[in-house]
Amino acid sequence: MRRTREGLNRLLLAALLGVALLLPIAVRTDQYTLVLLTTILLYGVLATAWNVIGGLAGQLDLAAGAYLGLGAFTAGTLLIRLNVSPWLGMVLGGLVAVGFAVLIGYPLFRFGVKEVWYALSSAALVEVLRVTFLIWSQVGGPVERYLPYHEWSFYHLRFATYMPFYYIMLGLLALALLVNHWIRHSKLGYYLMALGENEEAAEVLGVNTQKCKLQALAIYAFLVGVTGSIYACMYGFIHPNFFSGPMSIEVAILGIVGGMGITYGPVMAAILLVSVREFLRANLGGQLEGLYLVVYATVLILIALFRPQGLGPMLRQAYDRLLSRLVKE
Amino acid sequence: MSAPILQVSQLTKRFGSLVALNNVSLEIRAGEIFSIIGPNGAGKTTLFFNIIGLQKPDSGRVLFNGTDITGKPPHTICDLGITCTFQVPRAFANMTVEEAVRVGAYKRYRGREVQRKVDEVLRICELEEYRHQRCCDMGLAPLRRVELARALATEPTLLLLDEAGAGLNPSELAGLMDILRRLNEEKRITLCIVEHVMQMVMGLAQRIVVLDYGEVIAEGTPQEISTNPRVIEAYLGKGAVC
Repeated sequence: MRRTREGLNRLLLAALLGVALLLPIAVRTDQYTLVLLTTILLYGVLATAWNVIGGLAGQLDLAAGAYLGLGAFTAGTLLIRLNVSPWLGMVLGGLVAVGFAVLIGYPLFRFGVKEVWYALSSAALVEVLRVTFLIWSQVGGPVERYLPYHEWSFYHLRFATYMPFYYIMLGLLALALLVNHWIRHSKLGYYLMALGENEEAAEVLGVNTQKCKLQALAIYAFLVGVTGSIYACMYGFIHPNFFSGPMSIEVAILGIVGGMGITYGPVMAAILLVSVREFLRANLGGQLEGLYLVVYATVLILIALFRPQGLGPMLRQAYDRLLSRLVKE
Repeated sequence: MSAPILQVSQLTKRFGSLVALNNVSLEIRAGEIFSIIGPNGAGKTTLFFNIIGLQKPDSGRVLFNGTDITGKPPHTICDLGITCTFQVPRAFANMTVEEAVRVGAYKRYRGREVQRKVDEVLRICELEEYRHQRCCDMGLAPLRRVELARALATEPTLLLLDEAGAGLNPSELAGLMDILRRLNEEKRITLCIVEHVMQMVMGLAQRIVVLDYGEVIAEGTPQEISTNPRVIEAYLGKGAVC
């Protein structure tokens, strides 16, 4: 029984991976669908990264946009000014995001800023950076800065189709999921879950909560920073609006709706909700400005009301039920 | 008489104008079961928090095996070998019992050893049947044992228990006392229990300190304490001694 169950698990994983790998080939020339699929993956990566600090460690972080923007500006500026390949730029972008996260996170955690105050501080961070980059005319400024144009260049990460970005993002998602899975089953993961539940109890059991939170923040910032670098290459420009408050909040929403601390929950939420949002935007956007957001928000409220544990546990239950039926027959 | 494992000297803690602890000095000896009692608001939990590092005293010192641990963070103090359980259980609500205990076991173990430690502690605390249950689905008595189990998993040499017996029925209490006695005798863990349940204090403690309004008013064996007029006065009020 156990073997069949594991076999089915593996089968499902292989099937999902197969679909994910073949999907862009099926839509091939339809650039709109490709961007849409890549955007879903992008949110999947961001929400999965958020799961480390938000889901496991229970810190309501609203600064995804800050690290995304830092990654984008690092890779973008290096490419524009010094012709550094984004392949290197994305790693540096991730590291700059980590540096900044540690710089901000250290005092925040040192002085015990937590819960809603942490949420507010991190949300403010995004806006501070946005305005700073608007004013900082050497790097940012109010006008878009375009990355050098190439028809097709692997070195510059410029392609005539969005397809390569889909696969890069898919790879990044796999990395984010692996990192999550690894942390969840390691000492750091247990420490993060414990401090997320009760910080004083965790401290008494020997958890250096300050250090663990900083580690979680750094891992999250790195993944988001790398994603930001690719984001810039995909759209071909950088702009201070990349430091986006609404996007930061949406990442947190996906993480929460997916089910706090559940490895694959945020991806599920991203696939479901970003699809719903984009479908609504495409179909209602033209009729009345903002109508799609009203419907989208209603969907969120309904989930909060009827599935407060998130989509992750719900899907797992459904999957378990399906499995037990299959295995029995 | 064995050497002191913990020395608290002239500890003072103020909250605004309220003096929660006033010049408290006491000594816990290695291997004993020590108890701190006192009426509500006497400062027992505050004393615990100041020893364990959750609060910082305004003045005074705490020495553990001769090392000054005053004002050190709790995780450092846990590394050195002191941990505690809380008066109101602070469960890791969404974690299973096994996962909660694992948090403690990571303190001194890696890899497969972690699981071995978890299994050992679960057996000692009679929690094996609850292993996969989530902490938020548990009753008070097993939950108090979970608190004890995850603390034990860090392998303390001194364990502080804040009202571990509160709210337990007589048979649950007897079970807990059995476990504690075994820990003290077999594992040589020094216990310091803060307690309201007199049955537990009198049944376990070898020495007792009585706190009232943040001050030590008496110290001695259970027999001495139960007949001390100042203690009776603190508990029952003036005029009760006659």
